[in-house]
Amino acid sequence: MTVRFAEKELKELIQEASQGEKYPLAKLISELERPNSFEFRKVLFKELENSGFNGSHSVTIGFTGTPGAGKSSLLGEISTKFLQTVPDKKMAVVAIDPSSHISGGSLLGDRTRLSLPVREKRIFFRSQPSQLELGGLNPYTYHVIRLLRCFFDFIFVETVGIGQNEIEVSKLADLSFLVMVPLGGDQIQFMKSGIMEVPDAFILNKCDEENLARASYHTLSTTLEFLRDIVPGGSIPPIFLTSVKTKKGIQELLDFVLKSKPHPKRSSETKIQIEKWIKTEYGNFGLSFSETLGNSPPKKYEEWENFFNSEIRKRLS
Amino acid sequence: MEKKDHILYDKTGNPSKEPAWIFRTYAGHTNAKESNELFRKNLAKGQTGLSIAFDLPTQCGYSSDHAIAKPEIGKVGVPINTLEDFRILFDQIPIEEMNTSMTINGTSMWLLSLYVALAEERGEDVSKLQGTTQNDIIKEYLARGTYIFPPEHSIRIIVDMYEYCLKRIPKWNPSNICSYHLQEAGATPVQELAFALATGMAILDAVKERNCFTHEEFEQCVGRISFFVNAGIRFIEEMCKMRAFSDMWEEITVGIYQVKNEKYRRFRYGVQVNSLGLTEEQPENNAWRILIEALGVTLSRDARCRALQLPAWNEALSLPRPWDQQWSLRLQQVLAYETDLLEYPDLFEGSRVVESKVKDLVENANKEIQKIKEMGGAIKAIENGYMKAQLVKSQAERLAKINNDELIIVGKNKWKEGIPSPLTNDPDGGIFKVDPKSAEQTLKVLSDVKARRDAKKVAETLARLEEDAKNGKNLMFASVECAKALVTTGEWADTLRKIFGEYRPSTGVEGQKLNLESDKVSNVRSKVEKFQKATGARPKIVVGKPGLDGHSNGAEMIAVSAKHAGFDVIYSGIRLTPEEIVQSAVEENANVIGVSILSGSHVELAEQIFAELKHYKADIPVVFGGIIPQPDFEKLHSIGVKAIFTPKDYDLMDVMDRIIDIVSEKIPASV
Repeated sequence: MTVRFAEKELKELIQEASQGEKYPLAKLISELERPNSFEFRKVLFKELENSGFNGSHSVTIGFTGTPGAGKSSLLGEISTKFLQTVPDKKMAVVAIDPSSHISGGSLLGDRTRLSLPVREKRIFFRSQPSQLELGGLNPYTYHVIRLLRCFFDFIFVETVGIGQNEIEVSKLADLSFLVMVPLGGDQIQFMKSGIMEVPDAFILNKCDEENLARASYHTLSTTLEFLRDIVPGGSIPPIFLTSVKTKKGIQELLDFVLKSKPHPKRSSETKIQIEKWIKTEYGNFGLSFSETLGNSPPKKYEEWENFFNSEIRKRLS
Repeated sequence: MEKKDHILYDKTGNPSKEPAWIFRTYAGHTNAKESNELFRKNLAKGQTGLSIAFDLPTQCGYSSDHAIAKPEIGKVGVPINTLEDFRILFDQIPIEEMNTSMTINGTSMWLLSLYVALAEERGEDVSKLQGTTQNDIIKEYLARGTYIFPPEHSIRIIVDMYEYCLKRIPKWNPSNICSYHLQEAGATPVQELAFALATGMAILDAVKERNCFTHEEFEQCVGRISFFVNAGIRFIEEMCKMRAFSDMWEEITVGIYQVKNEKYRRFRYGVQVNSLGLTEEQPENNAWRILIEALGVTLSRDARCRALQLPAWNEALSLPRPWDQQWSLRLQQVLAYETDLLEYPDLFEGSRVVESKVKDLVENANKEIQKIKEMGGAIKAIENGYMKAQLVKSQAERLAKINNDELIIVGKNKWKEGIPSPLTNDPDGGIFKVDPKSAEQTLKVLSDVKARRDAKKVAETLARLEEDAKNGKNLMFASVECAKALVTTGEWADTLRKIFGEYRPSTGVEGQKLNLESDKVSNVRSKVEKFQKATGARPKIVVGKPGLDGHSNGAEMIAVSAKHAGFDVIYSGIRLTPEEIVQSAVEENANVIGVSILSGSHVELAEQIFAELKHYKADIPVVFGGIIPQPDFEKLHSIGVKAIFTPKDYDLMDVMDRIIDIVSEKIPASV
């Protein structure tokens, strides 16, 4: 597929998007969401770099948890608070909807639970169907996030899933949260699946009622104490108690987010994503070539993609 | 003397005749003055009660001068801003003699307060007031969409009203459980029974929980619960449904609530017959449908309603004219006074068929109630989206059956050819239109009142309302004080919004499937595939429901069918502003925006939507659906609307076919 935008047009779209214009940004995202966006990505990310947008300052925050944990409503509260209290920063939300794709179509319902201000250039919301990856990330989510990082200070990625899928988001997030509900009965499940080791912080949402919230907090922190040994570094991640209803804990959560820094090594993220892509495209056979990734100097994503594509194809033919 | 089975005897043993039910016409439009004239004319024609329709801003708690209210003033009912509007509305009408039904929910407490304030001002004995405030939550959250507060606060307001009415206006029905709209939203008779009775229990549980009544007083509360039911075209089944309602209410009131007094256990209900089955095609057929539907709830004594209101034959076209309403009233009068309907004891007592059918309905409804109870009751089943999803499912099934011709609708999917109706040949097109200038009068009354009222008193009474809301005090007292101080509808509602918050329920469309497989479906899907091949992405549609009109069935069905056809669908529920809808479409880079409007404000909303698209320099095609009269098509097209769908376009895949064609026009030639 050819690149749909002429060079001049692309420059304009980038400039407008950087000024908070929603429609140009939406168009760029749509291009990234198409299959075989390789050529476009090469041009786009090069142009972005030339224009001085590299996204290195931006923080990506993963929000994951079981359906019904109230992630969208919580994100809605955080956005409202963010816009009120951080006047010089911008944020974007990518909500990946787990709706099934049996007919091919999808119903993206996450906007329902968020009420966002209109014509506010400091916030941008985008839905994505999860397609075949139930609750997990889309093949193109990573690229959309790379783009958004260029224009926004904070990118929230909301995913739904139960079990291993939830780990996916943490691989490209600088900070990842696991959102749970008090005494949801999920805790034991999460322990089994090893999910407890992944998030940087926990959120017990829907803590509308003080006693229940406290009881759940103790259950969770005790559980985490047991895991201390296997947590790298041995420290226990923080637990936030929040309620959309009573606005409890929102400010604390936002402060924590605002304090976090981008991951120092974006190259390791590139490596993970490239491996994921190779695995999808060429399976374990392809993965055997990716060992070169480890000790070679860092490259841009598209350079790697190009490299492996031609290398693997050579061996295949 | 030997008693004969076919004669109806009164309590003293003398042959007698049943008194007729209350004849009502659901009415109100334009402004308080015009509505007052309409009411007085209707009463003069032999109507025996009032049923007031309020406009959407009044129902949703906005004053007429609020931006969101402007396109809707006086459209589907009368606008009420302050006590002054009630003074005009009830001018020369003896409210102490009336039985007044108010179709109002989120602001029911406010409207009752205005009514009480008016009676007190006129020096009437308030305890004599008779009537009903609808004050229902199921239908609001599930079907009608004019809710304001979250369910728990809505229930609190209802209980406040029970408490107040019991002591001060004992003949008033503080709430009326309205399953009517559930059938409009697709409910089966079993769902209508189960959801309505579960809601009745939720209210009684909340009343009990407050623990402020003696058992005798609690029994009186049970006695004040009334129901508002829908009667559909399957009239035998509908009659059996009414018998099932009575049987089940008896079981509930005796079994669960130990109501000893038989009088308080009676299942009391009013009926409006179904509008859902009325067709835009061959609208004259609707006259017969209305008659047949009325029979289900009048034919037999044990299933006869206390009050009846009939829609007009042309309601599927637009608002009915006064003449159309008169025609519906005449039908009731012919039925009650010309026929021998009221002279007999129950006609179906002992019928094996009827008994067996009733038993069946009761069993299935009890199973459904059990399910709801296990979820924690009706309020939980609303909050977790269960009830809504069930209704959307039933509606999707019903529409699929019409599309497959499994369900025959005369003039719609069968015997479609016919001679055009002479009834619609009148120069007015056979429909009623609200004069767009009439809103000025409402706004003038409002600004006059605001200018001359005592601002200090307004602030004081509102402060008291806020305090009482925070402290859990009964809100009726402060509300009546607000009414007397000439507080506006918007000010009253805003004060409570501040304390209670506003509610956004589940849309019920997630996870829905349409059981529809036909050549049409595969044709549309192949076009979708073609689009996907050409552009690399699925077509994306934003389904929007702007304004205050909460009739979301159409939007939900389009959302479900678009997904069925293979679209990515973004649907965020009701009461969105045009700005919000366009922002969603822009951020998602949607290929088309589909807007559903039933309140008659389509032209104003189209203008707002296109202004907003212009702001974003976005060229996204827009299609409209809803009750949109033919004469408005040209105007909408000139604003930029690409296609218009009305109830005539019942075949969902035909609609999707046209939409995918519109979307495909924009595929760039280069790919």
